Amino acid sequence: MRWRLLPLLVLALALGLTWLVWTHERERSRTALRAQFDFAVRETVSRVEQRMAAYEQLVRGVQALFATTGRLDRAALRTYVDTLQLDANFSGIQDIGVVQHLPASDKDQHLTEMRRLGLDDYVIYPEGQRDRYAPIIQREPELRSALAPLGFDAWTEPVRRQAMERARDSGMAALSGKVRLAVDPATRATPGFILYLPVFQPGQPRDSVAQRRAHLVGWVYASFHMSDFVASLYGALAPGLSVAFFDDVVLSDASLLYRSTDYSAEPQTLAGLKLSANEYLVLAGHTWTLSVSALKEFQSSLGRDTSPVIAVTGIWLSLMLAVLAWLLGTGRDRALRLAAHMTEELRHMAQHDSLTGLPNRALFSDRLNQELSRARRHEDQFAVMFLDLDNFKPINDRFGHAVGDLLLQQVARRLRLAIRESDTIGRIGGDEFVVLMPELAATEAALNVAEKIREALRQPFQIEDHTLLISCSVGIAIYPDDGTDEISLTKSADQAMYRAKASTREPAARS
Amino acid sequence: MLIRSVFCLLLALGALGVAQAAAPTCSRTFTLALHDHGLLYSADTDTGIDKDVADELIRRSGCQVTVSVLPRSRIWQLIESGALDFSLSGITNPARDKFAAFAWYFSNKYYLLVRKDTGVRQLADFEGNERLRLGVIRSFRYSDTANRLVDQLHHDDRVTLAGGLAPLYQTLLLNHIQGMIIEPFDYPALGEKKLREITSIIEFNDPAVPHGLIMSRQALSATEQESWRALVQGMRADGSMRRIFEKYFKPDMAAMLVNF
Repeated sequence: MRWRLLPLLVLALALGLTWLVWTHERERSRTALRAQFDFAVRETVSRVEQRMAAYEQLVRGVQALFATTGRLDRAALRTYVDTLQLDANFSGIQDIGVVQHLPASDKDQHLTEMRRLGLDDYVIYPEGQRDRYAPIIQREPELRSALAPLGFDAWTEPVRRQAMERARDSGMAALSGKVRLAVDPATRATPGFILYLPVFQPGQPRDSVAQRRAHLVGWVYASFHMSDFVASLYGALAPGLSVAFFDDVVLSDASLLYRSTDYSAEPQTLAGLKLSANEYLVLAGHTWTLSVSALKEFQSSLGRDTSPVIAVTGIWLSLMLAVLAWLLGTGRDRALRLAAHMTEELRHMAQHDSLTGLPNRALFSDRLNQELSRARRHEDQFAVMFLDLDNFKPINDRFGHAVGDLLLQQVARRLRLAIRESDTIGRIGGDEFVVLMPELAATEAALNVAEKIREALRQPFQIEDHTLLISCSVGIAIYPDDGTDEISLTKSADQAMYRAKASTREPAARS
Repeated sequence: MLIRSVFCLLLALGALGVAQAAAPTCSRTFTLALHDHGLLYSADTDTGIDKDVADELIRRSGCQVTVSVLPRSRIWQLIESGALDFSLSGITNPARDKFAAFAWYFSNKYYLLVRKDTGVRQLADFEGNERLRLGVIRSFRYSDTANRLVDQLHHDDRVTLAGGLAPLYQTLLLNHIQGMIIEPFDYPALGEKKLREITSIIEFNDPAVPHGLIMSRQALSATEQESWRALVQGMRADGSMRRIFEKYFKPDMAAMLVNF
């Protein structure tokens, strides 16, 4: 029982160990995956913030230009933007422009001034009387104005107005919500946004909101297409990340600013984890939502998760270990069983004739001695019968040993059937057999058995294609009349058999 | 009252001690960054406690200091790299101590602002309910218990990060998050009827955490740090720090914050 439980115990322990290692490895893999995902999200956030800071710095340059000159100088701005040489690194910017803050009382003078500059078609639009206006008075590169004329009153558009108000009141950069840029056709809705910085009258205090409102001259701005902004982020985003940006905190088609082609709101399962995150970025006072999900490629970029390999290998090794334990544990038992079996076989071989399976001389002698002891104790009698086949040698010579052997086997079978159940029959020579008949009630019983044997052997034998006829001579010795020990009894039986063989009329003789 | 008098005396004596430190040497233009956070600083109005503290420090030092507004996470990165000299209202931890030095000037506790409809009555209720998400400003650290809560929820993927307070209030109202950690500087937002009606406040059972001027160890020598620390101590000792806080809080609240 102990050895039977051992393999199960080993299997349970090995599987338990496998489970522990697999769990640890899976947890380590998950932790690494999550840490890498967190890092990738943080990296993306950082890039967006730094990129926006770079753009803000660029627009601050325009703000500083006007602070230096003290007026919204058109030529200075054009020269400044030309000098910037906005290359592919700044491809996110669609245009840099100036919005003038215009109380209603200054509108007519403003229109006159703009026309004096050669802008004969200049009007403020949308039309209508308002207490203040905020028309775009310059765009650079100037070509952009071919797409949308100057004079658009940005104050009339709520999203732009909100950002302009924040820039005015804070004195700092303010990012607008999602807009369609004025330079974009209405049919091509490319999400965009605008970064505003206020311009105040030089030398005037601007420490409070009231002072800033009182001394506002206008705004400088940079407008962007969101897709170009994302393209201008430093370097590629981490592989296997699908990314989307939404305006403000509600995720909807209306607020969508940008999404990567493989973006899916439902993240894929990696190592049993669904890695996704929404993070709210506050950029120049405005909130964007960054939505990030990890795809299959994200995990593959980190290297293979070894936990499945550990599980499969661990289970296989556990089974092998259990089998090994079973082999080791049961080896002694199996060896003992084999030894006993082989001992029994050896013992059988030592005591039996290999051809007929009958007891050999040694076993017969042993049983004869047992019977002698029993008969002496009980003053009983028994018989020893010697039997010799007649004409066996000619058959052997004529048909060969193989046929002779088969004949001996059939003779043995017939002899077994002819004797009593309690009798022992053995083969002691080539064609010589011996029968021990214990507990013999009368001498005639031995003669009857001898006759029964002779009759059985007289029947033809069919061996292969040959029909063979044999006979036998039988000699009988009775204890204690014909001998009182093994030697005398076997000698008497042997002599009787030879007498019987010599006499054709008395094939069965008693000593 | 006696205890407070003794405290003020000790503070004044301490100020005498630090007054021995040399005034900052204005060898270059320094940089200081503010972050938009409730009463500490509002970018919408360009006002706040941190701005007033910065103005006073600049005035007392006589140095040229460029002030900018940055996300808090960016501020810590720049302080660590040495690209930024100062920021304000920072708290420390072992990791930050390696790259930043501090000059404390107020201390406050932290609170969990939680939606009433969550049924949360104590901190364990929030942690135990897997459906609840916590809104956290990226890189912010809090008191020990609050940090432990944030770290546990982050491990369970139940934290939503933001670059500032405003989106957290918005998403709390929208029920995208169910809780956020606030400080006394965030009380004005609670004045909004809608937010006040749907939320309740649970206090973290931690001692008040000191906040102070953050100085980059990479950018400022130990001597320079000591001279700026002396300026802060001077502001505390002569009552100017408390006066700044009294512009934004009731006197007893201001006193509680700056007397620690």
